[in-house]
Amino acid sequence: MYHFDWAIFWQYLWPGTALQNPLIRYGLIATITCSILAQAVGVLLGLAAALGKMSKFAPFRWIADFYIWWFRGTPLLVQMVLLYYGLGVTHIFDFPDIHIIGITIIGAIQAGTLALAINEGAYMAEIVRAGIEAIDPGQMEAAKSLGMSYGLAMRRIILPQAAKVIIPPLGNEFNNMMKTTSLMTIISATELFFGYYQVNGRLFKPFELFLDASFYYLAMTTVWTFIQSRIEASLGERKQVRAPSTFQRIFRSSPMAH
Amino acid sequence: MVVKADKVNKWFGPLHVLKDISLEVRKNDVVMIIGPSGSGKSTFLRCVNHLEKINSGIIYVNGHPIGYHVREDRLIEDREKNIARQRAEIGMVFQRFNLFPHMTALENIIEAPLRVRRLPMDQVVADGERLLARVGLAEKRGSYPSQLSGGQQQRVAIARALAMKPSLMLFDEPTSALDPEMIGEVLDVMKELAHEVTMIVVSHEMGFARAASNRVLFMDEGRIIENSTPDQLFDHPQEERTKQFLSKILH
Ligand SMILES: Nc1ncnc2c1ncn2[C@@H]1O[C@H](COP(=O)(O)OP(=O)(O)OP(=O)(O)O)[C@@H](O)[C@H]1O
Ligand SMILES: [Mg+2]
Repeated sequence: MYHFDWAIFWQYLWPGTALQNPLIRYGLIATITCSILAQAVGVLLGLAAALGKMSKFAPFRWIADFYIWWFRGTPLLVQMVLLYYGLGVTHIFDFPDIHIIGITIIGAIQAGTLALAINEGAYMAEIVRAGIEAIDPGQMEAAKSLGMSYGLAMRRIILPQAAKVIIPPLGNEFNNMMKTTSLMTIISATELFFGYYQVNGRLFKPFELFLDASFYYLAMTTVWTFIQSRIEASLGERKQVRAPSTFQRIFRSSPMAH
Repeated sequence: MVVKADKVNKWFGPLHVLKDISLEVRKNDVVMIIGPSGSGKSTFLRCVNHLEKINSGIIYVNGHPIGYHVREDRLIEDREKNIARQRAEIGMVFQRFNLFPHMTALENIIEAPLRVRRLPMDQVVADGERLLARVGLAEKRGSYPSQLSGGQQQRVAIARALAMKPSLMLFDEPTSALDPEMIGEVLDVMKELAHEVTMIVVSHEMGFARAASNRVLFMDEGRIIENSTPDQLFDHPQEERTKQFLSKILH
């Protein structure tokens, strides 16, 4: 019968002891940072692709369609390997280590995060587009009739309204993103799962260690779900009685500002 | 001449919705357009600020062809920037108000003067408050559209259009989405406006037409069938189709 090693299990579960291991400490930091970065860049790429797809200029549509088609149609794992090893071995781009404020960001982390972001952008494109298309076309017409350019109308009128539609699915995407970062292990990027993987290579306690890793992912996604529901609740509330806008906060003259 | 339309034609696919529309609107004219559903009234109005493209003919607003420029006898669609600049001079009021729901009444009004005209904040706020007072909604400056009645929303929408100091105002059935008890308050605002700004109004409000307009057009199947003074058109229509239509809407 398998002997479950409780000592190892607790050592690598309890943050006080687990995070003493630099592989896990830096892995956790990398996972959180890379998730946020990849998601943020993914949103921007998704916005660009969504606008491209809706563009009147056909080449923009083709580029956006190709991008979405490629990155939704191939596995992320393959994209990651292609980006890191493919570009590296051909010396198109080597992903050299970056040193900033005493931290070294290794090439694999850069390539992995970039692959996550680009892949995410292809999925965000559809989410952003659906958000924009959910807005009454009368809004764009009203904005145009006031002399606004397409860009200004998008930025000031359409996107702030579309954001409310986009935020719930965006939250789910981020939840997935935190878990998907673990795929970076394939290119030896030092994220959380890679940390546990390395420790397991030394201790060979896969059941205990990967269970511990699971708990860390679970903790991150659970905390995020909580934050997400708070964000969505505040969005829902604002449909009835809105929080004071920046303008009201500056002028403090509205009866609604408190 | 504020608007001059010359043989305007417009197709939606195979559907010929505007047929050789020619029209002249002088400064301070208030022109009403009436006609059955689907006759092309809204489409024509939307062509005047280039929300719709036209297929042939030309529309001049303040002497400039709207949405196009002429090069070697051909019409070439203008750059977006030029179209936007022309639209800034033309106010439009929509049937369904189309206020920006994420902005307060005052924010709705100052948005375009602030971002399009790039006027200073204190000036646009002062102007905006004056306009709100003018449409009788001074105390609603901080209210969101969802907190306003239909009539109030439409008055804010009129103030929003006026904030750009347009030389021409287009109204597309401004009262037909309103409960009957709110129609009066919007028409009152429009009547007062009629003294000082050129307007084209698509509406079947006969009272307004008689009180405030100096010309009424009857459109049917994409053509202007009759074009005369309100009293002449309502009391002595010349065309058979006009008579039929009027008998329907006047019961
Ligand atoms: N975007 C569009 N695509 C295709 N057909 C359209 C479009 N907009 C309007 N039409 C058609 O063009 C014709 C004229 O429409 P328009 O909205 O100008 O009529 P209207 O006189 O304003 O009618 P109503 O009194 O119902 O508002 C109608 O047959 C309508 O179905
Ligand atoms: Mg219409």
